[in-house]
Amino acid sequence: MEGVLWYVLTGTRGGGNRVRIMKAIDERPRNANKLAESLDLDYTTVRHHLDVLQDNDIVEKKGGDYGAIYIPSNRVRTHWDVVEQIMEQVE
Amino acid sequence: MAIWLDVARVAAGVNILLLLGLSYVWVRNYAEFRSKHTLALMLFGLLLLVENAVALYVFSLDPILSAWISSSDPIAQWAMMVLRLLEFGALAIMAWATWD
Repeated sequence: MEGVLWYVLTGTRGGGNRVRIMKAIDERPRNANKLAESLDLDYTTVRHHLDVLQDNDIVEKKGGDYGAIYIPSNRVRTHWDVVEQIMEQVE
Repeated sequence: MAIWLDVARVAAGVNILLLLGLSYVWVRNYAEFRSKHTLALMLFGLLLLVENAVALYVFSLDPILSAWISSSDPIAQWAMMVLRLLEFGALAIMAWATWD
């Protein structure tokens, strides 16, 4: 899991934005629309990042398809120190 | 003059393009995160970039080495091509996962 976290969050082109998404949903779980708004990103960009994060079991989706909110997965919670270490580098 | 050497040259050129793309991402991520992992990826990309540049130079530009390779047995040229193509496969997979 730690290797996956490092690669998905800091090894790829969209890593920085994915860290921002993690930070935002850690503060307060929210849906893709609200995330796009608060991070000033394109909705489709946010959707793509959420899909990648979900694919890697880093976030979980709660609620129905439309307006579903995203939260950090249980799995990532057990490695939260790594996420915090990564988040420290992003404003 | 076998075609293998030409394929090896093209593969080295394509590898250089892939590594420029990967290094662009990894240098940017290192600048943002400054971690051991991002440093390692950046150096990994840059070293392989140099490796392919050297290969292209040896295959095409160096007067002594390129003449020697061109006149070598086609089986030797074929082996060099296989190495380049395997590296191309590895880099293409890496680019696919990284450009995301």
